Amino acid sequence: MGLTMAEKLFSAHNLSGDEVRAGDVLEARIDGAMVHYHAAEPMHEMAAQAGFPDGMPRVWDPERVYVLLDHHQPTLSQKQADENALIRKEVERLGIRCFHDSEPGIAHQMMADYGLMRPGELVVGNDSHTVSYGALNVGGTGITRADMFYALLFGELWFQVPASVRVVLNGQPRNYPIAKDIILYLAGRYGDDFAGSMAIEYTGSFASQVSIDSRMCLSAHGVEVGAKLAFFACDDATREFLAPRTDKSYTPVAADADAHYEREISVDVDELPFVVARPHQFGNVCDVDEVVGQRINQAQIGSCANGRFEDIEIAARMLKGRKVAKGVRFLVSPASQAVYLRCVKEGLIETLLEAGVQVITPGCGICQPRVGFLSDREVCITSTTRNFKGRKGSMNADIYLAGPLTVAAAAVAGEIADPRKVFDGI
Amino acid sequence: MGFEINTVLRGRVWKFGDSVETDAINPYYRYPTMDELKLHTMEAYRPEFASEVRPGDILVAGRNFGCGSSRPGLVLREVGIAAIVVESVARLFLRNSVDRAIPIFLAPGVTSIVEDGETLVIDYPAARVTNATSGASVALRKFPPLIEQIYRVGGLPEFARERYLREQQARTEPPVRT
Repeated sequence: MGLTMAEKLFSAHNLSGDEVRAGDVLEARIDGAMVHYHAAEPMHEMAAQAGFPDGMPRVWDPERVYVLLDHHQPTLSQKQADENALIRKEVERLGIRCFHDSEPGIAHQMMADYGLMRPGELVVGNDSHTVSYGALNVGGTGITRADMFYALLFGELWFQVPASVRVVLNGQPRNYPIAKDIILYLAGRYGDDFAGSMAIEYTGSFASQVSIDSRMCLSAHGVEVGAKLAFFACDDATREFLAPRTDKSYTPVAADADAHYEREISVDVDELPFVVARPHQFGNVCDVDEVVGQRINQAQIGSCANGRFEDIEIAARMLKGRKVAKGVRFLVSPASQAVYLRCVKEGLIETLLEAGVQVITPGCGICQPRVGFLSDREVCITSTTRNFKGRKGSMNADIYLAGPLTVAAAAVAGEIADPRKVFDGI
Repeated sequence: MGFEINTVLRGRVWKFGDSVETDAINPYYRYPTMDELKLHTMEAYRPEFASEVRPGDILVAGRNFGCGSSRPGLVLREVGIAAIVVESVARLFLRNSVDRAIPIFLAPGVTSIVEDGETLVIDYPAARVTNATSGASVALRKFPPLIEQIYRVGGLPEFARERYLREQQARTEPPVRT
């Protein structure tokens, strides 16, 4: 029997050299490690716990460790500033070459922007959304702080090879992004852990035609359905994206035709309705029709799931000549400086500002209670990653998750609405 | 400190539902210090939890426990939870628990054999969890030997140190001639 992408990935990275199958436990060689704000205090804490009071004694390969201060840039408190200062010292002491410390943005998007990962690589990150790298056929997976300590020391880490679920997305891409609707639909229909500890392989006619931006949304949200890995195949779009970003060679992973899948799920994307996740769980999903008329106080587009060019472009296209509803705060945060700059160059930011949107510095803050807090009984609709209770401040606020088009429609209408009834040409 | 995974544990149960997220377990956005976290962990589901939990209690939950971010559940150990027993667990929460030697056990069906406030017995060597009152029991899943070893040495940082020192020593000692 053939191998899945995950089995190929881990077989190629197995220290013992043996072929591995779903369920096997192995020690794997790491190709890259993404560290964000955990680089100082948490790593020191791990080092101290392990008996290295002066901090990590080394990193295994200073060329393969990427430190990006996404959660803390620009700093929003004295504590963050002091932590960043510590991280700078650590990076210097350990000789780490790739360090983005004075640039706001989401680490995962910057990893893609700067071509710091390549198809077929095993890249770990101490953030749950590291799984987004699968959009580029990278074996990206989130690990813990203690895992990162181990990985940084040895360039190796233990894994259990995941079983795989094949998600077949058939249909035509539309003239607006629907990746969020797809993943929300899947979580609602099959449960918020349908891919628990498994590897997803996205395939089908939609998956092969859809943009890299949309693939990144679907892969990032792999973690919201429990996945360890969330792959797309490496195709022309992948190679085209990477060509100007990396000159290193790579060996993509492809599944064998007779690979074994624990489960196969097929979705006719053309038939998919607009959906939202109601408070307070990702899998609490319904058709937008069921919550139409729900008044909102805040709307948001951003995050490692939906802060990319196409997410902001659709908002600008829809808001051109329109205004954000009175009393609604509409926050847009590009995922990185590169995304932001492209939006500026294409005139999107001007359109958004004229419509009354608040454009927020790139970064993770929009997805957390760091930028744009909610007060008691306030309601927010957002294209960010999570709607857990308290995620945006008050424990008594309601957060709905939706795609960027549905968010933009709600921002204009002042209430949750079917985008087709708010905008023409949808 | 290491945890001998073959220790039989017995404790009063706090029972939670499905998909309990790390924002509820470890609400560090709102409470950034451990002292504050200890007063607020799990309040999104059970406001009385932090004030009424006692050392040695066992947390039982449904499927997908610890979903969400990569944050660990250290605070649960800090407030006295001796072990976590769940139907299923989010992978990062499982890794975090193993890495910090926090006892966590996967026992599909556990939520149907025990209610809040009852006493649960966790017998890892026998691979069973049992309701001490009713006698009802379900199987728990054994871990691979590597994970059992990480528990014994006290977590992954300690495991890393052992390996690092071993390798350093091997480098400084002259090769053995035979």
